[in-house]
Amino acid sequence: MNFATIGSNIVKLLSQYWKVFLIEGLSNTLLLTVIAVSLGALLGALVAILKMSRFKVIRFLISIYIEVIRGTPILLQLYIFVFALPSLLPFLNLSYFTWTAIALCINSSAYVSEVFRSGIQAVDKGQTEAARSLGLSAGQTMRKIILPQAIRNILPALGNEFIMILKETSLASTFFVGDLMTSYLTVKGATYLGFECLIIVGMIYLCVTFPLSKLVSWFEKKMANPNYKKHDHKRKRAVMEGGKV
Amino acid sequence: MEMEMIKTVDLHKSFGSLHVLTGVSETIRKGEVVSIIGPSGGGKSTFLRCLNLLEKPEQGKIYFEGAEITGNLTKEEKHAIKAGTMPKPAKVNIDQHRQKMGMVFQHFNVFPHLSVCQNITLAPTMLKGKTEAEANEMAKELLSRVGLIDKLDEMPGKLSGGQKQRLAIVRALAMEPDVMLFDEPTSALDPEMVGEVLDVIKGLVNTGMTSVIVTHEMRFAREVSDRVLFMAEGNILEQNTPDQFFTNPTHPRLKDFLSKVL
Ligand SMILES: Nc1ncnc2c1ncn2[C@@H]1O[C@H](COP(=O)(O)OP(=O)(O)OP(=O)(O)O)[C@@H](O)[C@H]1O
Ligand SMILES: [Mg+2]
Repeated sequence: MNFATIGSNIVKLLSQYWKVFLIEGLSNTLLLTVIAVSLGALLGALVAILKMSRFKVIRFLISIYIEVIRGTPILLQLYIFVFALPSLLPFLNLSYFTWTAIALCINSSAYVSEVFRSGIQAVDKGQTEAARSLGLSAGQTMRKIILPQAIRNILPALGNEFIMILKETSLASTFFVGDLMTSYLTVKGATYLGFECLIIVGMIYLCVTFPLSKLVSWFEKKMANPNYKKHDHKRKRAVMEGGKV
Repeated sequence: MEMEMIKTVDLHKSFGSLHVLTGVSETIRKGEVVSIIGPSGGGKSTFLRCLNLLEKPEQGKIYFEGAEITGNLTKEEKHAIKAGTMPKPAKVNIDQHRQKMGMVFQHFNVFPHLSVCQNITLAPTMLKGKTEAEANEMAKELLSRVGLIDKLDEMPGKLSGGQKQRLAIVRALAMEPDVMLFDEPTSALDPEMVGEVLDVIKGLVNTGMTSVIVTHEMRFAREVSDRVLFMAEGNILEQNTPDQFFTNPTHPRLKDFLSKVL
């Protein structure tokens, strides 16, 4: 095996199987990711709101939810959703693809909820105080003052979550759900060119994730909150000492 | 008798085991300009922030324009309600009261995602039913008053500290409050910007605006105040007219403080 043959094999594979890689594999991977992140974001918003609830019991239950999901491997969660749950809920009769999507959704909701929560809590408390002192209610303050600022922290983190989930969908290939990693298994089985297939699939993942991560960091820079100077207390003392009546 | 604007009765506030306000009773009359000075940690900010309930005092009462706003009940009142000899007081809508109390913070807290103009118009359009046009008109007028009219459409990120604080002041004024609360409005400013902000406050109190000003600017306090309060160890230890306050202090803590500061 040498680089020349690998190269020509890759070209051959691409011309013969590009549909398997791109039309089936990549599109399923993107579909899974979009479903997981968008529904995960909705669910995550709900989880974040509950996590900031004024009721201790709710906060406690939600933190268990978050800890369990973030503290166990995503592959284990996939097993539970694809193998265990269908036998517990046989009347549901959903496809592996759907169960995988649900599992990824739930997984992403836990991470995204933390993204929302920390994004909101990163907004200076003085903003809330200023808004409330003008007479805005808590809800009005959240809508008009906090969320518009939190979104600058939240969007880049959501982009990163998208990239993470996109890579993690590869685990779903364990169940042959037709994602990009599944297409590797398919083509390798047909051609026995495992290494070449890996290179191709890896390149495709990179072609998606690299521009995305560049986009995220561009966005981060653009959205960076104008950093307020943190004020020193030395000055106050200087003013006090220097001030004459 | 002049009308009472804000009256506190035996106000207590603790943070955990730290007893920060130890029963403050004070009355601010309509049109009065009151400065509060005192050592760091003495409870000045906490007192001021209790007045519009940014901090909730766990005991004591605050009357704002005659209405009790804390909802705190004395032991006797609790008994009376239980016995049915006193009706349960209606729930206080603090948002309503806050509209009438402007507050200016040490760190400005202007809204960075809104333009200078929107900073001013947001609350009046949302809460006072002002139309965009009316609010914009008012914003222009207020900004001209503090020399910021050319910044109308800028984002606050581009303003200097002194400009941000002037904006914060007119943002509060746009709600047409009955009283203004200032918490060290110049302490976070570069020295060369202190004057411009003090001038704006001076102009404001000269219009008769009732004001409570926590400050370390002694000369300013002496110049603009009708009354100066000395706050330390969680209470008001001395108060007087500015001349008496600075020339004839009686409380040893105040004497000590002034000797260090002046
Ligand atoms: N949110 C809070 N949680 C816990 N402790 C607090 C809180 N706010 C104030 N304190 C404490 O209460 C005490 C009084 O604080 P306060 O800010 O009222 O003092 P101050 O007179 O305004 O002082 P300074 O001149 O430094 O502003 C301080 O010991 C402070 O550490
Ligand atoms: Mg203070």
